[in-house]
Amino acid sequence: MAIEGMDIIKAAAFLGAGLSMGLGAIGPGVGEGMVAAKACEAIGKNPDEAGLLTRTMLVGQAVTESTGIYALVIALLLLFVV
Amino acid sequence: MDELGRIHQLIVPLFGHNMVFNLEAIAMAWIVMAILLFFGFYAAKKKSRLPGPLQALGELFVSQLYMLSEDALDEKLGKKYAPLICALFMFLMLSNLLGILPHLEEPTKDLNIPLSLGLMGFVIAHYAGIKEKGFKKYLSAYIEPMFFMMPLNVIGELAKVVSISFRLFGNIMGGSIIILVVSHLTYSIIMPPFLNAFFGLFVGTIQAFVFTMLTVVYISVQVK
Amino acid sequence: MAFDVETWVNVAAFVGGGTAMGFGAIGAAIGEGYTAADANLAISRNPAISGEIFKSMLVGQAIAESASIFALVIAMILLFTEFSNSSYITVCVLLASGLSMGLGAIGSGIGSGYPAAAACKGMARQPEMSGRLTTNMLIGSAVCQTPSIFALVTSFILLFTNFSGRPISPTWAAILGAGLSSGLAAIGSGLGGGLVAGASCEGISRQPLTVTPVTNVMLLGQAVTQTTAIYGLLVSFILMFKVFPETGSMAPPMALLGAGLCMGLGAIGPGVGEGCTAQNAVRWIARNEKATGDLTRIMLVGQAVAESTGIYALVISLILIFVV
Repeated sequence: MAIEGMDIIKAAAFLGAGLSMGLGAIGPGVGEGMVAAKACEAIGKNPDEAGLLTRTMLVGQAVTESTGIYALVIALLLLFVV
Repeated sequence: MDELGRIHQLIVPLFGHNMVFNLEAIAMAWIVMAILLFFGFYAAKKKSRLPGPLQALGELFVSQLYMLSEDALDEKLGKKYAPLICALFMFLMLSNLLGILPHLEEPTKDLNIPLSLGLMGFVIAHYAGIKEKGFKKYLSAYIEPMFFMMPLNVIGELAKVVSISFRLFGNIMGGSIIILVVSHLTYSIIMPPFLNAFFGLFVGTIQAFVFTMLTVVYISVQVK
Repeated sequence: MAFDVETWVNVAAFVGGGTAMGFGAIGAAIGEGYTAADANLAISRNPAISGEIFKSMLVGQAIAESASIFALVIAMILLFTEFSNSSYITVCVLLASGLSMGLGAIGSGIGSGYPAAAACKGMARQPEMSGRLTTNMLIGSAVCQTPSIFALVTSFILLFTNFSGRPISPTWAAILGAGLSSGLAAIGSGLGGGLVAGASCEGISRQPLTVTPVTNVMLLGQAVTQTTAIYGLLVSFILMFKVFPETGSMAPPMALLGAGLCMGLGAIGPGVGEGCTAQNAVRWIARNEKATGDLTRIMLVGQAVAESTGIYALVISLILIFVV
């Protein structure tokens, strides 16, 4: 089994991509879940403001997603570009 | 994809050391300054009671940022440093938005610009602190509350400069690289405008605001 | 499997870059999520000032993101730089640099979420204090990120120092140990500092008159909480800058790697614990301003005792580096 040099570089790039997106998905998952949970509680306490609260929840989740997007970009770079 | 790492530089040998000028950052910064100068000139030209659009925009910026500055610092100092805060915010917001226009890129993408603005804020904050409190009281602030805290306080001050500069630089550079990579990968014309809108308008404005607010807060911490 | 060094350097660069961004994305997202969650609750409690609360939430989230941005910068550098002086040391340098910044971003990200959340909740309770709450949130978050700056500094020094004159063994372990020490030690301090800042914002919103003692004790508590991160940085610097004699056996490299792990892991606990102490001290100073002196004293004594295991870890690290 003769493994070439280029093979192991590609292997490492794939490993890095996997690590990056795998670990990077933990945080946004937990964070966005917390946002949605407290949004439910908030709407429960004050149903008249449901529109404003839903809007705030979506904006909060979008900002929380940004680090997950960075990890996705690094993973895509490692897969296709490098 | 090779455009990622390429920076056009002008290297001028001077007294044995090389002076390196990053041409793109300088050109873009001059464009931002020219736009701001034109805006300032035309907005303040006719001061009428019924403001035209330029004047209304100018009044909006100035009133909001003066209020911010006077909230954090007291009346007198607030009025003194408010022009600096206003200029800083307008420069940064326009710089971060410049990437949306084709063929132009944000000057804040080069580390030199955020780092120099951060150092400027640092120097101004400490100068204001020394002028307000006097040199002895300023030095004694490093020793409080206990003597062995001094290295910690000094490190903390340096960390503040690094953190605000790198935060601005990383957000803007990261956003532009993401837009470049996604455009390269998807070959479409629908995705990049949305991404540009998100990173340029949303993230750019927020980061400019955070940088400005932190500068004001650092000045107020030194002065009180 | 005999590959040339260039291959291994590329391997390490990619794995290091992936690790840096992977770990770095965890903390900031959790912190930002916590902020948005409490902002939602605050808006439901007081919809009239939802504009102010929304603005604070965005500003607080932007600050909590900064540690992940540092990790993104390190990941980009690792992926796209051509490393010229390749040796097996460079392999370890790239891995260690990625680990250091990746791990270092976790604590500060989660920690910076607390003051932003408390500021949003406080604005719903006391809209007049919104200016002061924003200021305290900014100061507290900025100080809470100092440990991740230490990790960034360690990453940069690792990347840009010339290690070529050193023997391969045991320097490989010294470099890995340096990265782990700074990165892990920043987790506890970042989290602890954030807890204190959150309590200060909550205290100001409950009792606006106690602004000055609360802010002072917050800064004091945060400064003491960061001492464990400073120990981690100290051990990193010693491991990076001390030239170790060449050895052939496995024991000295393992000693250096163990020193880095020991200081890194050992700084997590005291950081969080001292943060909890300071958090409660600040919270009760806001409720009972007259007891400020007693509370400050007890806080410092308690923090000093909580620091003791951190000091044991430092001592063992130093023994592993210098004596063994």
